[in-house]
Amino acid sequence: MRVQLFATCLVDSFFPEVGESMLKLFRRFGVTAAFPKKQTCCGQPAFNAGYADDARVAAAHFLSVFDGDDPIVTPSGSCAAMVKHHYPDLFRGDPKMRAKAESMAGRIFELSQFLVRVLHAQESGMAGKGTITYHSSCHLTRDLGVRDEPLILLQSMKEVRFVPMPDASRCCGFGGMFMAKLPEISCALAEEKADSIVATGADTVTGCDAGCLMNIADAMKKRGNPVQVKHIAQVLAEGL
Amino acid sequence: MTSPDLLRRFLENAGNAAAGTHVVSDATGLRRVLSEIVPGTDPVFCPGLTDKEKAAAPFLPCRAADYASATATVEEVYGAIAETGSLVCVSSGGRAVQAGLLPSHHVAVVSRERIFATLDECFASFAEGPPTNITLVTGPSRTADIELTLAIGVHGPEKLDIIVF
Amino acid sequence: MSDVQTSLTFRANAARAIKDAPLRSAMRQAADTFGTKRADAFAPVADLEALRDKASAIRLQVLDRLQEYVDTFASQATKAGATVHRARDAGSAREIIAKILKDRNARTVVKGKSMVSEEIHLNAHLEKQGMEALETDLGEYIIQLVGETPSHIIVPAIHKNRQQVGRLFAEKLGVEYTEDPQALTKIARKALREKFLAADAGLSGANFAAAASGSLVLFTNEGNGRMVTTIPPLHIAILSLEKMIPSLADLPTFIRLLPRSATGQSITSYVSVITGTRKPGEATGAKELHIVLLDNGRAEILSGECREILKCIRCGACMNVCPVYRTVGGHSYGWTYPGPMGIVLTTLLTGMAQSHPLVDATTLCGACVEVCPVRIPLVDLFLKLRERRVREGFSKPMEKQGMRVFGKAAASPSLFSAGQFLSRTFWPLVRAFGGKDVAGRLPRPAKVPFHRRVP
Repeated sequence: MRVQLFATCLVDSFFPEVGESMLKLFRRFGVTAAFPKKQTCCGQPAFNAGYADDARVAAAHFLSVFDGDDPIVTPSGSCAAMVKHHYPDLFRGDPKMRAKAESMAGRIFELSQFLVRVLHAQESGMAGKGTITYHSSCHLTRDLGVRDEPLILLQSMKEVRFVPMPDASRCCGFGGMFMAKLPEISCALAEEKADSIVATGADTVTGCDAGCLMNIADAMKKRGNPVQVKHIAQVLAEGL
Repeated sequence: MTSPDLLRRFLENAGNAAAGTHVVSDATGLRRVLSEIVPGTDPVFCPGLTDKEKAAAPFLPCRAADYASATATVEEVYGAIAETGSLVCVSSGGRAVQAGLLPSHHVAVVSRERIFATLDECFASFAEGPPTNITLVTGPSRTADIELTLAIGVHGPEKLDIIVF
Repeated sequence: MSDVQTSLTFRANAARAIKDAPLRSAMRQAADTFGTKRADAFAPVADLEALRDKASAIRLQVLDRLQEYVDTFASQATKAGATVHRARDAGSAREIIAKILKDRNARTVVKGKSMVSEEIHLNAHLEKQGMEALETDLGEYIIQLVGETPSHIIVPAIHKNRQQVGRLFAEKLGVEYTEDPQALTKIARKALREKFLAADAGLSGANFAAAASGSLVLFTNEGNGRMVTTIPPLHIAILSLEKMIPSLADLPTFIRLLPRSATGQSITSYVSVITGTRKPGEATGAKELHIVLLDNGRAEILSGECREILKCIRCGACMNVCPVYRTVGGHSYGWTYPGPMGIVLTTLLTGMAQSHPLVDATTLCGACVEVCPVRIPLVDLFLKLRERRVREGFSKPMEKQGMRVFGKAAASPSLFSAGQFLSRTFWPLVRAFGGKDVAGRLPRPAKVPFHRRVP
């Protein structure tokens, strides 16, 4: 099987180890991953801030870079939701581009979704270690409807004790530009999230969106808490 | 005809809303319940408009001339709704809906055959044109405005009793 | 405290609220309680999703033919004995109401809970004319005694704890201090009962207006709504145009949804349906009923891209689940309607110039969309409003330039790479410039980005 890997700008710039973990996972499951070198960003920062024109420029580039019929897999629920739900909307005035966006909507997958629904990775006897809790990021959960997949993966891992987080799907306060525009609220929400994480007693917190994890990691660091913050790709790849 | 299931559902839902519920089948039963729930010294308003109100009136030792001076009202209401455990009070037939509002104790007599299964059935009965006032009453007056803590009896009745007759 | 807070100062309002410990804990407790109660209330409802679809469809149908429903309502209500007034804006609504009262020499008005009356700042206007407008909903009564505005559309005093209410009653009503909610409620009952009986007029809002019969529908729990609509000889109801439903046959759907969404009750203690005035031989109903239908910007919203906000039935569920609302409280939003629905209504009704910072007051998490009983696509509306802010020129010039550069870079891999390299190289500078609140929370970009690590 062949896929195209969309790393996202956050993973590309800040968390390359997440991308490397994905490559490791793909190798383990016999998937050939192509990495279109011209990829940049899905355009979400501009789109969410109300700059549809600038977002459209990014989206058009994305559509041309990820051409073809292969599934596109990305380590972000938020970016997958952007492509799936907002691209068709961005091109509503352009039938040709819209058709392209709509066809792409059918072949973009968030990582955990792809691992569970397509590769059935949960049946492969993956292993890991420690006590893990999970933050259910907003766009992944509510826009993409990916609620169970990450849990299925984590619960399938041998030697891992999974502990559910209270209010797991409450926003961590990242919100993209929100963290920069309203930092006081953003930090207050991240602190509440940190409380929930500490309450689980887990040694690792994971999730499917680097943005949220970055925000959570900062909150944990501020309180000097040793809980490790890892993307689900890392948690899964470490056990291979 | 009200099925036992419908009656059971109505009583259960009304009870969940903190209403006292009673079922009687004759005047003796009515007298027993009234003597249990209405203190003999309380001035009670009873309009005496329907047969069932006429049956209740003689069992009330202390009658009030109007609802404004009463501490309790005993009245037959238009009907009830099983789905929500509500009473249906209406202004038709010269009835003052406020009679079940001002006194601190509201005793509503419901005819067994006037229990609607659903809200839809209830409103369908007004298809010809609603009276000036229809009030669905579910449990006593309440608030949670202070720290979301339930407090019973704000401006309306502090106590609601329903007698299915 | 609330007079200096406007929607324009949202960030500062929020920052202040975040440091207010009693407010934070009250908001948190309230949001959690409501969340649980709402979930419990809907648990036994067999087909909630179908019910939401139905409610949404009814509300859309109303919006599609709003003028027709409003006209039918007006003529039916008139037939039933009411006098119907149409108010284009807040000022004319205030005038109409003040004139009705003045013409009848009415001095004291008892009020049921009405957010529309808050929207038009009615109380202050009536007081200026020498009339007493007394709030009778317990939460509103508390707020009025303190001299504040509601911070939640369902539970106006949600930000006050029992000790604060206890001290307030002791001070203003001269009663002995108690912090027992049941005892405090009894005190209010006693204080307000005589006011109901002596009032010249009652003023209420309405949750719905059934067009086919010209009926007003009120959902209440305390009984004050029933008092103000049936005891005084004169009843004035003020409602905004979009409160229409086609007929009473549509009411059951909303009875099933509104109280469960709002307070987690399967039905409120009282649902009152008022059709016109007291008829000859009747013992219930006001002798005179005036209904003021308020536009105040609704017609314009109706013709725009955010019209679905007019489906709103004011349950407050969106605010109860909103992470931002639960953190900053209602007053931070700076106008009548807070929380997610408030962001949309405030920007549309007061204009972007008065409110543009509010469109940032969301993480776009979508929790509100998940609970909205009438399926308002709130996140889509936030995004539309953000676009509109840019179009109307209320975004920061630097942000605008930045986004243009971002768009260009996103379409040019080499430019994008260069940007990455620069931000890593000058990270200490970015940090210093971006401040500890923003850049200080990000890790330094990786030395070798992923795209250069792929074989």
